[in-house]
Amino acid sequence: MDAKIERVYVPMTETGFYILYCLQTPQHGYGISRQVSWLTNGEVAIGAGTMYGTLSKMEKDGLIVFDREEEKRRLYRITALGEEVLDREMRRIERLYRNSRGENWNG
Amino acid sequence: MAEQVTKLAVFTIADFKEEEVWLRERAREGLHFVRMIIPCFYIFEKGAPEDVIYRLDFPNNDEDRDYARMLTDFGWENCGRCMGWVYWRRSAAETENEGESELFTDDAGRLDMVKNIVRTRMLPLLLIFFACVLPNLFRAIDGEMYGASGFFLWFFGIMTVLYLYLFLHCGGKLRRMQRELERKE
Repeated sequence: MDAKIERVYVPMTETGFYILYCLQTPQHGYGISRQVSWLTNGEVAIGAGTMYGTLSKMEKDGLIVFDREEEKRRLYRITALGEEVLDREMRRIERLYRNSRGENWNG
Repeated sequence: MAEQVTKLAVFTIADFKEEEVWLRERAREGLHFVRMIIPCFYIFEKGAPEDVIYRLDFPNNDEDRDYARMLTDFGWENCGRCMGWVYWRRSAAETENEGESELFTDDAGRLDMVKNIVRTRMLPLLLIFFACVLPNLFRAIDGEMYGASGFFLWFFGIMTVLYLYLFLHCGGKLRRMQRELERKE
């Protein structure tokens, strides 16, 4: 992972994390938005412009890749680099969570 | 065909938030935006008053692909384009959260839009000013080119004042927006 990717994506915004997380299965922007809304009980709502911009940037940076097109909607999926970033974020969030519960989790 | 009304309003490239509010206010009066004619004419169609949220986007040039499709999926109705701006709207009644009532729910996205406006609109404006308006003003002042005619002096004088006002107003406002978003990010 090069320095630029690390600087931009570690740590990630909640929006960025969920988008990348959802792309472990190929999806289009609106599908991601529905899934995120469901996962967070509607509390994380992603605007259409934000979704479009984030997908474009992640594609340009190689975190996700164009999968196929369905009814003029572009479907994306996560790449190996994207998975690396996601793994790192998951570890960071787990540490944050455990330590915040007072577990003194030395991970 | 429904009756059309033309209204005159001036919004600079830095006043898009005000423009959104203005369009929403017109919709509440039953005037629904149809299209815009450069530089400052807005065509409306008369109808029933409704609370409609308007949003202006200033997407990148490489926006294409499924941009319109995605925004339509999210419930936005496209109601025109003008000079790089894309006009979107949706009924306020069907929005439940920020993700539905705003195009951008992240500061990075808002910041990209402001930067894009500065890059594609402010910088060319500066170029025209320094390459055309200002040199012509100096020439007119010298009076070499145009002899005794005061017309060009007036013309380029007014242009210079107009440009200076635009730079100060738009430049300052966009800069403030940018700073605020960068601080939050």
